[in-house]
Amino acid sequence: MKAGFQTVFFKEMKDVLRDRKTLLLMIVLPIVVVPLLLSLLIGFVMKKEKEARTEVLEYVVFGGEFAPELAKTFEEAKGYKKVALGSPDELVAAIREDRIDFGLVIPEQAAAQLSEQEQALVELHFDNASMSSKVEDRVEDLVEEFNTELTAARLANLGVPQGEKQESLLEPVRLGKQGTGEIREVIGERIGGMVPYFFIAFCFMGVVYPAIHLGAGEKERGTLETLLLAPIPRHQVVLGKFLAVFCGGIIAVLLNLASLGTWLAIKAGELRGIIGTIIGSIDLLDLVLLALMLIPVAAMFAALLLSASIFARNSAEASTLISPLGIVLIIPAALAMLPGVELNWFWAWVPITNISLAMKELLKGTMDYTMLVAILTSSTLIAGGLLFFCAKWFNRENVLFRM
Amino acid sequence: MLQVNSLTKTFRLARKKRAREQSLDPRQKGRWFHAIDGIDLGVHRGQVLGLLGPNGAGKTTLLRILSTSLKPTSGVVLCDGEDLTKNPLEIRKRIGFVSGNTGLYGRLTAREMLCYYGKLHGITGTTLDERIGLLAQKLGMGWFLDQRNETLSSGMRQKVSIARALIHDPEILLFDELTTGLDVAAAESVLTVVAACKSEGRTVLFSTHHMDEVDQLCDSVVIIHEGKICFEGGVDAMRSQTGETFLDKAFLKLIKPKTEGATI
Repeated sequence: MKAGFQTVFFKEMKDVLRDRKTLLLMIVLPIVVVPLLLSLLIGFVMKKEKEARTEVLEYVVFGGEFAPELAKTFEEAKGYKKVALGSPDELVAAIREDRIDFGLVIPEQAAAQLSEQEQALVELHFDNASMSSKVEDRVEDLVEEFNTELTAARLANLGVPQGEKQESLLEPVRLGKQGTGEIREVIGERIGGMVPYFFIAFCFMGVVYPAIHLGAGEKERGTLETLLLAPIPRHQVVLGKFLAVFCGGIIAVLLNLASLGTWLAIKAGELRGIIGTIIGSIDLLDLVLLALMLIPVAAMFAALLLSASIFARNSAEASTLISPLGIVLIIPAALAMLPGVELNWFWAWVPITNISLAMKELLKGTMDYTMLVAILTSSTLIAGGLLFFCAKWFNRENVLFRM
Repeated sequence: MLQVNSLTKTFRLARKKRAREQSLDPRQKGRWFHAIDGIDLGVHRGQVLGLLGPNGAGKTTLLRILSTSLKPTSGVVLCDGEDLTKNPLEIRKRIGFVSGNTGLYGRLTAREMLCYYGKLHGITGTTLDERIGLLAQKLGMGWFLDQRNETLSSGMRQKVSIARALIHDPEILLFDELTTGLDVAAAESVLTVVAACKSEGRTVLFSTHHMDEVDQLCDSVVIIHEGKICFEGGVDAMRSQTGETFLDKAFLKLIKPKTEGATI
């Protein structure tokens, strides 16, 4: 004969898996929606990036006659189209109205300054509010190119031969950068904090509906009272329910991990070499450890949300209680994204943040595996404590029969 | 035999509720609410005891204590001489409880639901299958046994609830407003089951607001008002004590002095 908690668990899983909302959050969202959204998002960003780099920029030049070489550089450059505009006073309006992308204003004195080998100031007018605009970068690149040629010519006029001599004059000390971090570490540091944040958020989402359904939902449907009359100890009822909610979180996370991994593996070639390198350098052990670390997170969420749900009179009240809890629980995960927050023996004991930081270290490939003991011990102890609290909570008449 | 002696149940009120209900109910004393206060009653095997009382009288609290959902504040409940609070898990095997607002798991079929409760009571395999078959035949629910509960009518759902309460063949049955919301035909078929339970020698405690059901089924009656028993005896005694032919009027007369006293 099965133990009472097993009977409760199998029934709850059957009940939960027949719920469309739960299926949507637990299975459809990670398998279909997340990769689809990622594809669309990355595709959109790449398209915009490409467009910004290759689109033809329409510009005007005022005072081109004072720096004809510079004006000619823009005229000859690919991807630029010179247009006409009445006067420099119209520049701001023309840029705002998208009639031109930028304008160059070359002052009269520039001619004398350039001929006397002095520095000339050319004004660049452009829309600096646009995040996706590449105008500034593209114009700077072109002016940089022009400057390099002009500097070389000026130095040659001064008798400095082109080549190394000029370079040593322009840059007496050159830094030979030898970064010790591998590309995986560098990228891991930059995006590694976001990945656990998403996994922890998905884990939370996977737990929410089963917790509401199996806690407050039972009260609302009037089935809790009959379940409490079953001849099994209440802690077994709690354990059965907890395991079902916990499985909801784990299934959501594993499906996310699997679907994201599959999607990245398929798209790695398209997403340039770096992501491909990162994916290639994450081995199976890292993936297993990622999944392993999410187990206590799912357990913590399951115990806490089940306690909140069982306290609520109905599903609506449970949702109201759980929503702010979501923010409270996600904040420690977001801490890993802050600069300067690194996994050390202090953070290793801070719940959820420790998991988030450890996942970041795993992605960077710099995990100190001895810290796993502290991380898993603290997380498991907290999850166990919360489960104990949930069982005690479930025994209180003023919680179960709250008026 | 179910024996209840000096049973009381007190709840601590939430602050908001305390303020809202101040002076409305004489059972509220400060932050405490005495839901039932000094109840004594006894029901023998094969007997149906009708539990009557206005809304909020304490009937459901009493039934919840008898079903072991709630613990009494004081007093004793003996189930065949065994104290209910000492070993509730064992007592639960002998008790079946059905309420008018008892819910079902909508996404499970009636059979799955009965299997679930059967397993929770330690019944498995062919014994469980046979038991489900027997109950389905007895309650006339064979044709909808494999339908999801969410698709069933109120009468069908109540039959599933009763089958759930009978799955472990309990000696004592607690029915709380069993026919609430049912049409005449459904209520009649449910009452037939209650009558059958009585003829099978089970102890039945039957809470209702319908006096015709009391007349039809109950051997004796207990009326609870404001947490205390205000009448105990047979249906005929209700009539003779009040001089009323109709039980509805007799019931109102029996609780009237108390109600008036409370409002003065």
